[in-house]
Amino acid sequence: MTVGTTALGERTEPSHSPSPRRGRTWIQRIDVLPYALVTPLALFIVLLALVPAGMTIVQSFYRVQPLDPPNRFDGFGNFRRLFADTAIRTSLENTALYMVVGVALSTVLGIAFAVTLQRRFFGRSLVIAVLILPWALPGVVEGLVWTGIWDANTGLLNSVLTSFHLINHYHVFLGQNRLLTIFAIEIVQVWQITPLSALLILAALQNVPDELYESAHLDGCSPWASFRRITLPLARPGIAIAMVQALIATLNVFDQPYVLNGAAPTAASITEQTYFVSFQNLDFGEGYALSLLITVVTLVVSIGVVGLIYRQVEY
Amino acid sequence: MFRKRSWGRRIGILVILGWSLVPLYWTLNTSLQNDSQISAKPAHYVPPTPTLHNFSSLLSGDGSIPTTVRQSTVNIFIECGAATIVTVVLATLAAYAFARMTFRGRKLLFYAVLATMAFPAYTTLIPLYRIMSDFSLVNTYTGIVLVYVSGFLPLATWILHNYMSSLPKSIEEAGAVDGAGRMQVLWHIVMPLAIPGIISTAIITFLFAWAQFLFPLVLSSDDSTQPLTVVIAALQGRHTVPLSLLSAAGVFALAIPAVIAFALNRYIVSGLLSGSAK
Amino acid sequence: MTSIRSVRAAAAGICVLTVAVAGCSGGGSKASTKTSGVTITVALATPPPPKAALAAFTKQTGIKVNWTNIDWDSLQTKIAAAATAKTYFADATDVDWSRVGQLAKLNWFYPMESYVDTKALAKQMPQLSSFTNGGHVIGIPYDASFLVTTVNKNLFAKAGITTMPKTIAQYTDDLKQIKAKGVVQYPLNIPFAAAEGLSTYWYQTTAAFGGPILDGSGKPQFTSPSSPGYKAAEWMVDAIKQGLVPPGNINVADTQGQQTLMAKGNVASTFGDYSGNVGSLYDVPSSSSVVNQVEYLPTPGVNGVGPNMSNPDGIGIPRQAKYPNAAAKFIQWFTQAGNQADFAGANGPSKVMPGYFLPSQLAGLAELTQKGKLIGGAELAHLLKTSAKPVFPQGAPSWYPEFSRAVYTNLHAAATGSMSVGAAIKAIADQANSLASGS
Repeated sequence: MTVGTTALGERTEPSHSPSPRRGRTWIQRIDVLPYALVTPLALFIVLLALVPAGMTIVQSFYRVQPLDPPNRFDGFGNFRRLFADTAIRTSLENTALYMVVGVALSTVLGIAFAVTLQRRFFGRSLVIAVLILPWALPGVVEGLVWTGIWDANTGLLNSVLTSFHLINHYHVFLGQNRLLTIFAIEIVQVWQITPLSALLILAALQNVPDELYESAHLDGCSPWASFRRITLPLARPGIAIAMVQALIATLNVFDQPYVLNGAAPTAASITEQTYFVSFQNLDFGEGYALSLLITVVTLVVSIGVVGLIYRQVEY
Repeated sequence: MFRKRSWGRRIGILVILGWSLVPLYWTLNTSLQNDSQISAKPAHYVPPTPTLHNFSSLLSGDGSIPTTVRQSTVNIFIECGAATIVTVVLATLAAYAFARMTFRGRKLLFYAVLATMAFPAYTTLIPLYRIMSDFSLVNTYTGIVLVYVSGFLPLATWILHNYMSSLPKSIEEAGAVDGAGRMQVLWHIVMPLAIPGIISTAIITFLFAWAQFLFPLVLSSDDSTQPLTVVIAALQGRHTVPLSLLSAAGVFALAIPAVIAFALNRYIVSGLLSGSAK
Repeated sequence: MTSIRSVRAAAAGICVLTVAVAGCSGGGSKASTKTSGVTITVALATPPPPKAALAAFTKQTGIKVNWTNIDWDSLQTKIAAAATAKTYFADATDVDWSRVGQLAKLNWFYPMESYVDTKALAKQMPQLSSFTNGGHVIGIPYDASFLVTTVNKNLFAKAGITTMPKTIAQYTDDLKQIKAKGVVQYPLNIPFAAAEGLSTYWYQTTAAFGGPILDGSGKPQFTSPSSPGYKAAEWMVDAIKQGLVPPGNINVADTQGQQTLMAKGNVASTFGDYSGNVGSLYDVPSSSSVVNQVEYLPTPGVNGVGPNMSNPDGIGIPRQAKYPNAAAKFIQWFTQAGNQADFAGANGPSKVMPGYFLPSQLAGLAELTQKGKLIGGAELAHLLKTSAKPVFPQGAPSWYPEFSRAVYTNLHAAATGSMSVGAAIKAIADQANSLASGS
């Protein structure tokens, strides 16, 4: 088993294509198989992801406002306007907080849950099924249920705390204190995305051979040490993917702040602002500019995360 | 030493169960009540007069709600199922190529595919809508599945690439020495070893598709293709939001993947959790 | 190897494809004038009329109706997405009173006066004027929703209040009395969540204080501290500061407050409630704990009874409709007085359209009241005829959604205490001024 330190699977192995021999035409020299295997993927991505994304990028430099036609080139106008908007600037801060809290919590919990489920035990598949349930709950219902939990007048949390005599009057969790509001909203999203993190890390851990743990135990390693020295490093690819997914989810958070806190600037996310700008102000150019901004931030942070966390693992 | 380990694991299991089930219990609790009973102060932790009324309004009979809910359940199955199958097949083939072959443009394509995950949904919504409309694919299963596949392929490819590159090369090389062609190596040797990766990719893709809302909202126009998620959102009225009905709808919507997981339990266990440590 | 050259080549290829796709005009099929034998799609934020009624319509006209119920928020997104992408999604869809200005300017809907005798209709539908902009009628209101004050008379009586308040000063005093007597801890419901319900609540309160929000050219009329809008905002924010409104309400939206507070007897009154709620919520045993306790109150204004702001729902024909003529026939049928009365329950439960309570046609309302089927009927009908007024007499401005967002986010901030009322008003006014001057 080797743990390489290259990122993203850089491999330099001799290709399996037949060595060019005199007398063969060029088409016989090209190895067609890999292209055949990736063409469907490439078609989907180019036609249905890159082309629309290209359209968006181009249009973010145009003034695209149905209320103010025609569409015309505007250079960095959209970007200037969005940075001048205090609501948008506040939402950038809010989203940064969402990201930090969300990625940290969901990754830690994801690792903890994956390690719990790593070994066979009676009822494990049932526990896995329960684990993924929050993910299967439709976003609309999730928003309503958690509104019912956090509600300051009649909510479940207040009710439980009162029944246990921990508080004597109902508290306001959402809307008053900015940090508390953001934290409460992000918990709802973490509840929803942790199953994915756990699954990704669990899948990565399935390949770790039992013998490693056994020999470590024989050598006198404590469970914590074997977790730190065996489990964590070998789970790095899974953790990296899980973190990138959490990053994308938290940077794009929309449903939770919208349902739980409306458009209030205290906790509005950047995607909420994108929605308002695009579909209420009908300024699609600015909306595309915001999307481009989110994309760039996502890419930059993801590359950072992958560089730091991802390691190619081979057994 | 083992006793300590299993004690830690027991706590872990309890946390997992509590973490998932407490809010879900609350959903179930609400779904078994009337709107007049919820939002009581203090809250009813158990339904005072449990009733299946909400579930029957949702599912049984001829009214517009049950018909739409039933139809949309069929729709969501078809859309999620088809998207999962297509995604997993294409991702497996491509991941093998990325992991075990070299060809020109390999790195560029791989990075480009992954980079598309960074684009937010709103970015591609209108352009994709226009593209689908140009090809008359709006309000069709095909259109929705195509959009889903394009959205889920990157993650699926990444997971499978990861999985396949971590498999021991020795077995594949042995196969090649024995004279097996590359497709045979893929089919007979690599894929069986990659089953855990394939199954987890399938589960993840299916659940992502199950949760979709914005894209089907825009791409489907009526009952013939609207999935369950969009129909559930429509249960919110303009001036009243029937919480107990919506909770029942939520329980129904998550029960389906849960039941599937339970029914396919054996395959998931042998598939996902086998590991390749041989 | 990933050379710069291959990256450039790939990018160029994608640019070409992008231009090619963008160049394709939308799959625009020409609209057909056919009416018989076609199927139209109707997309509204409400459940459909009974199957028998739709079948009767099909029999009468040969038009089949494919009904889609989408929640209001998502429907607005869909309307905007479809119009922008120039794509068909429905032949008839929702036109909200607040969007009339925007939709008219965008020319996203067919003018209804070319399909329906809107002049004659105007006499029968007081709210049609809200749907007229620049001489064109963008949609036909199909219900008569308006904002109205609701009071829980039992709770008022328990506090010893024998006559209902007629002015806002008396109303406020009564609420304070209810609180002082300990009948309920927080007697007033105001939904301070940063959502549309807060804006409409403020419009209603401003109307009660005796004035408009914007003038004909969209300039704010609420900037001076003595203006009705300013006083209304002050009144609302003071109410929560002085403990008349539950502190948790800073994050409670309109329907949430009505369902969890008013319908549970946790508050004694909602100043800007929705017409029809008594029948659809407060008197429904499966949703409410205060059945038969809530009634409508004529708006307590500055010197006496004040107006009620109307917020009706309308239906119109989007430009991408496949069968506009058929859609128009449907709209005529849907808004006919007799049918409206049926949908509202005048002629038995089998003809009821779920969630529909207030016909927009005066004749429909009359039939409903006559048959005794409108809960709070005489009062509601009276209010509809005499005091229901449009929020913006010159029609909602084309920049309404952005303006409304400024209203509710700033009023919300004032309620949480992070902004003074004066600062909030100034922010709203600044936004209105910049929008009105077209920047």
